Amino acid sequence: MDNQGQTSEAEQNQLDVQLNGAITEKIDYLTSLQKAIQEKHDLKVYELIDAPRFNKLIKKTNLKPNATALETLVDDLHAQISHYLSHHLIDYLGKTYPFFYYDEVSLGQFKIYFGNWWDRRQFGSLDVINIAFNFNEDEFAKLRTGFELEAEGKRYNSDKIAEISSQSTELQKLMTQQGERDQRKELLRSQLKENGQKSTLPWDSGKVKEERQVIIDQLSELADQDEAALEANNTIKDNDDLILSLSKEDTIINYEMQSIKKTFEDFSRFNQRNQSLYTDYLNSLVGEARVKTDD
Amino acid sequence: MINENDPSTLSTSGRLLAYNDAIKSGLETGKKFTELMDQLIQTTDAKELLQAATALSMYTLNSDYVTFPHQYSREDFYLLFISRMLELHGEGDAVTLQSSEYQEQLSQNITALDETIMFSFSGHDSNDNGECYQEHVTGQSLFYLNLDKQMLRFNSHAFTQLFIVQYAGQIDNEAILKAVQTFINLGNYLKKDFGFSVDFNMLDSDNSEVYEFQNGTNLSESVVDKLFVAAAEEGYMLENSEHGTGALLRLKNGAIVQVYNRAQPSQSDWVLSVHDEGQRISWFDLLVEYDFLRKWYLADLAELEIKSDPLVFA
Repeated sequence: MDNQGQTSEAEQNQLDVQLNGAITEKIDYLTSLQKAIQEKHDLKVYELIDAPRFNKLIKKTNLKPNATALETLVDDLHAQISHYLSHHLIDYLGKTYPFFYYDEVSLGQFKIYFGNWWDRRQFGSLDVINIAFNFNEDEFAKLRTGFELEAEGKRYNSDKIAEISSQSTELQKLMTQQGERDQRKELLRSQLKENGQKSTLPWDSGKVKEERQVIIDQLSELADQDEAALEANNTIKDNDDLILSLSKEDTIINYEMQSIKKTFEDFSRFNQRNQSLYTDYLNSLVGEARVKTDD
Repeated sequence: MINENDPSTLSTSGRLLAYNDAIKSGLETGKKFTELMDQLIQTTDAKELLQAATALSMYTLNSDYVTFPHQYSREDFYLLFISRMLELHGEGDAVTLQSSEYQEQLSQNITALDETIMFSFSGHDSNDNGECYQEHVTGQSLFYLNLDKQMLRFNSHAFTQLFIVQYAGQIDNEAILKAVQTFINLGNYLKKDFGFSVDFNMLDSDNSEVYEFQNGTNLSESVVDKLFVAAAEEGYMLENSEHGTGALLRLKNGAIVQVYNRAQPSQSDWVLSVHDEGQRISWFDLLVEYDFLRKWYLADLAELEIKSDPLVFA
């Protein structure tokens, strides 16, 4: 059987040319990427690894997405490319977000730390390839709430701390009132004894029983308070620990808010800038390239 | 047969001669003592002063035949020695020696402090020639001095209890620092003039000094958290150490306090240090100057107390 029979020679040639062209295109792509990296031309690298986004946001030309998706050729190199691109990007972020610190936990993977204070929070990760912050949602939500509460003159944990503090104050009172309670118990017990000795005339018995019950109820309430007072010392200590960790969190969130205000004035501008990080950074590279060629 | 070593064999004249010799030797001991006393009281040479004080502190004045009812003790010679040591370095005014009207006993005032606060030496341990410098009312021993072994050890516990707890608020900070400076100067003179081994402990302002904690190498995280919160309330940010585990505090006076784990991450060896450009500031100075540091230190003293020489202050 002649397998070649289905395509004519001319068609075959045509296919060979196409294949050749496709391979050349890939080689050209990889060569350009290699050259861009050799020349430390980060802007070009970003263009090559995500041409559609680059065209849309930086060149502002709405070209159709590249049908051949050459970007996928280097999918397995993203960790290395990310590591390479991080140097210049982190320099830039050092100036624009002076309060973020980065830790390369594995090749090209960066954790973000907020601030340089004691027990600063790990705030998410840096996506170098896409030039974006991936903030930890819980931590970010605390920060947002912190800004919202600031308008009310409160801190993130103000209410909780006030509640726990007032509980501790109550407990402290319970402890200092032990003497009073002991006196009252003595009085109630003697009343109970008196009550027991009362003549139980049939028409009185209901009333005497009622009195007795009132005294017993009061005594049992005092016994409950005694018990709570015994526990109070431990509870107050636990409360102190709790207040410490809440105050610490408040202090951290407050430092974060101050940092943001110092650089961005307010939280919404911070958010806007995060959204436009891709264009801001790459436009700054365009500017740098221009300065270089002017030199 | 006459045996000079056995009085029962001596003749009468022999006994009288032996008696007389014993008195002569006893008087000679007394005379030598007075020469050493002259030297201790009057010399202007530091080496001679130390030599006299050391000799006197171990001197046996009484003999079988000659005893002296009025005697000063080793404690008094030590006290006289430090007074004179300061005097030789032009700081005689920093302390005042007081003598008792009724017996041979000395005590000392620190001029910068209230004159009712009295100090004197007190024996440290019967097996040891050293002496502890004690405050009379509290019995706190500020330092241990041993002239024979040439060593001086400051006691952070006593400095904390006396100057950071007891006198805080009663005596102004400037006076406290001045008083303590007198002790530091004394330590420096002993070190420079004679090569004494001196442990300044929490008074040490050298940047290389690392303060260890009395009760172990662990430090609860909550203790550092408390410093973080307390510092923030005073407008200071407790920073994360750039290397290893720990925290760093930059104070307005230029000092940098660090609390950190100097061991590998898997182990725990927490210490405290104070750095400043002039190497003039010690942990003690900061406790006097900064209320929030004082409160922090005292609230968790069980963990934070600075370690003193364990061989002396067990």
